[in-house]
Amino acid sequence: MESSRKQRWRQLQSAVDPGLRWMLLVSLLLHLLLPILYQTLWFPTKERVRPTVYRVNLVNKPVKNPQAGRPEAVLTKKKKSPPKVKLKSKPPKPLPPKPKPPKAKPKAKPVPVKAKSRPAPKPVIKSKPVVKPKPAVSEAQETALQRRLQQLRDKQRQEQAEKARQAKLDMLRAAVAAESRQVESPVRNAPVGSVTGKGDQVGVDERDYVREFITQQWRLSRYQLNTRNLEAEVVLVYSTSGKLLHYRFERKSGNEVFDSSLLRAILKSKDLGQPLQQQTEFDVTFNLKDMLDKP
Amino acid sequence: MKIYRAALLTLLFCSLLAVPALAVRIEISAPGEQTIPLAIVPLLPMGTAKAGIAEEFQQVLENDLTFSGLFDLVDPESFLADAKKLTLHSTQVDFGQWRMLGADALIKGGYRLEGEKLIVELRLYDVVSRRLLTGRRYFGKLRDVRRIAHSFADQVLLSLTGELGPFNSRIAYISKRTGYKELYLMDVDGHNPVRLTDHRSIVLNPDFSPTRKELIFTSYKKGNPDLYRKEIYTGRESRLSLKPGLNIGGRYSPDGREIALTLSKDKNSEIYLIGTDGTIHKRLTNHYSIDVDPSWSPDGQQIAFVSDRRGNPNIFIVDINTLAVKRLTYAGKYNATPAWNPKGGRIAFARLKDRQFNIFSIRPDGSDERQLTFGPGSKEHPRWSPDGRFLVYSLDENNEKSIWMMRADGTGARRISAPGSSDSHPAWSGRW
Repeated sequence: MESSRKQRWRQLQSAVDPGLRWMLLVSLLLHLLLPILYQTLWFPTKERVRPTVYRVNLVNKPVKNPQAGRPEAVLTKKKKSPPKVKLKSKPPKPLPPKPKPPKAKPKAKPVPVKAKSRPAPKPVIKSKPVVKPKPAVSEAQETALQRRLQQLRDKQRQEQAEKARQAKLDMLRAAVAAESRQVESPVRNAPVGSVTGKGDQVGVDERDYVREFITQQWRLSRYQLNTRNLEAEVVLVYSTSGKLLHYRFERKSGNEVFDSSLLRAILKSKDLGQPLQQQTEFDVTFNLKDMLDKP
Repeated sequence: MKIYRAALLTLLFCSLLAVPALAVRIEISAPGEQTIPLAIVPLLPMGTAKAGIAEEFQQVLENDLTFSGLFDLVDPESFLADAKKLTLHSTQVDFGQWRMLGADALIKGGYRLEGEKLIVELRLYDVVSRRLLTGRRYFGKLRDVRRIAHSFADQVLLSLTGELGPFNSRIAYISKRTGYKELYLMDVDGHNPVRLTDHRSIVLNPDFSPTRKELIFTSYKKGNPDLYRKEIYTGRESRLSLKPGLNIGGRYSPDGREIALTLSKDKNSEIYLIGTDGTIHKRLTNHYSIDVDPSWSPDGQQIAFVSDRRGNPNIFIVDINTLAVKRLTYAGKYNATPAWNPKGGRIAFARLKDRQFNIFSIRPDGSDERQLTFGPGSKEHPRWSPDGRFLVYSLDENNEKSIWMMRADGTGARRISAPGSSDSHPAWSGRW
């Protein structure tokens, strides 16, 4: 049997073209070569387009009386006020009551406590022997009275435990509220709010106010322009009353549409609507760095 | 000596009084609002009033200017007394009232009828600087109200952007409303459709001459898809290219002297340049694959076309002088019908994605590819407006073909063709 199998195998081997092995080998190599070639410059891959970044200005809302420094700076000042001192004084309290939880345990041990607690009411029962003349009735009454007393004691304990729980909850709430008021900037000494301002409102300083005000007056459609590489520089001088004294173009963009839109914005910003601390010269650079893309 | 002392003291006193101006640097890197508040006052009669004129004018002008995306129209309900005065001079306009309403620009005008003649006076004012930006006096007939409104909308865009608008141009398209695919012409807002051909066959791929009021298109009128030319006003028609096989996708060069088209006279479709007399000037492609849909670059030096030479249909660009071909699109399995923006910035095309076509645009260097249309239906055959601000395309949805228009960024899409007419293959004319 074995010899016949070997013979057949040999016959098969002789029947196969010796070049076929080479062909299969070359084919395998070519298939391996394909992914390597795909990585070469002959098959360039397209770079991914980075998505447009949109910027939303939620912080620089102008206020008439901007505060100084970071928001927490104002809160520390407010801590001096009497009502907030109460809040401040409460947080330390929660620490000592921590061991209190055992008091609440009686809730879970209503049955075993019965035996221990009974000795206390016993003297009360002792005073009742006056009623002893009616033993048959008194036993039933006594058990009923004991039950009633036990119920009252349990109720009292439950009320006390509830009061303790509420007190603890109140303390924890106060502690959380006090902690949440202590706003911490993610970056220490971050210049949030007005640096030069001396007011008490969370907002921005004069410079940011004027910047925001002029920005709001500047209207220009992206469909009006074919390029975004435009920049102009204008000097605006405002009086202490917030009125525009004079302006001059230090540098024009050269694009008539862009420059005339700036002129309109300046004319609309004649009155800032709030006084400045002193006469100020604003050197304003207008450009379109953050304008949305035009396809 | 006393005088000097007094002068010195006065100077010292003045210097103390003088308030030193604080210098502050500010950078503003984007406008606060990207629309211009515009008030359009209804036309007022300068003589006897005629019903319908002011309303039609207002509707067309508002429609055009809203579509431009530039404006935020002030509600006419809020208009004050100045809106009722026909003030055609800047000194007569009460700009304070318009400032109160928040308008930055103001359009006022009036009309007068002299028999059949209609005279319309129109003004565009800058409310902030209180000056006249543009003023026009139009002469026409009663039926020209829409045309006058379109023309003034173009002038408004010219005044505020430096580039004339495209509203007073035309759109050619193929419609099957008679049962046959025939060539039609309509206004940009879809009004005044006019049938130009009566071939009772199949008409395809219209394109406008940039210099003359004439169109080229492919028609099977004589059995073979031949290229025809038609003069719009005279109605004269002639066969321009009648080579055996395909004579399709004809596109005029920007100077109007040559036409790029696909010919298959050698059994394989290739892009050729022919003269306006139909003679072949140059063969631009030479590949065994199918090369179709040529579209000229605005400088007339390159042509974008569709080829399946790399397997799937993709957009390629051929240089007319060197005949060097470069591939433009790599993504997607089927990219077709390229249209080069006449201002040069981008190439629009249709791509098959999820079993439907959508319009995309890409820079000629292959960067910054963007999808412009979304939603149901196949959007194909994009063509640019002459100012490159808008695109017109055909939509095939629920077995109904219609023509739509949108801004170059894909916003503001609106249907312009009438319902139930099966319209496709739009082409936007140049300045009319």
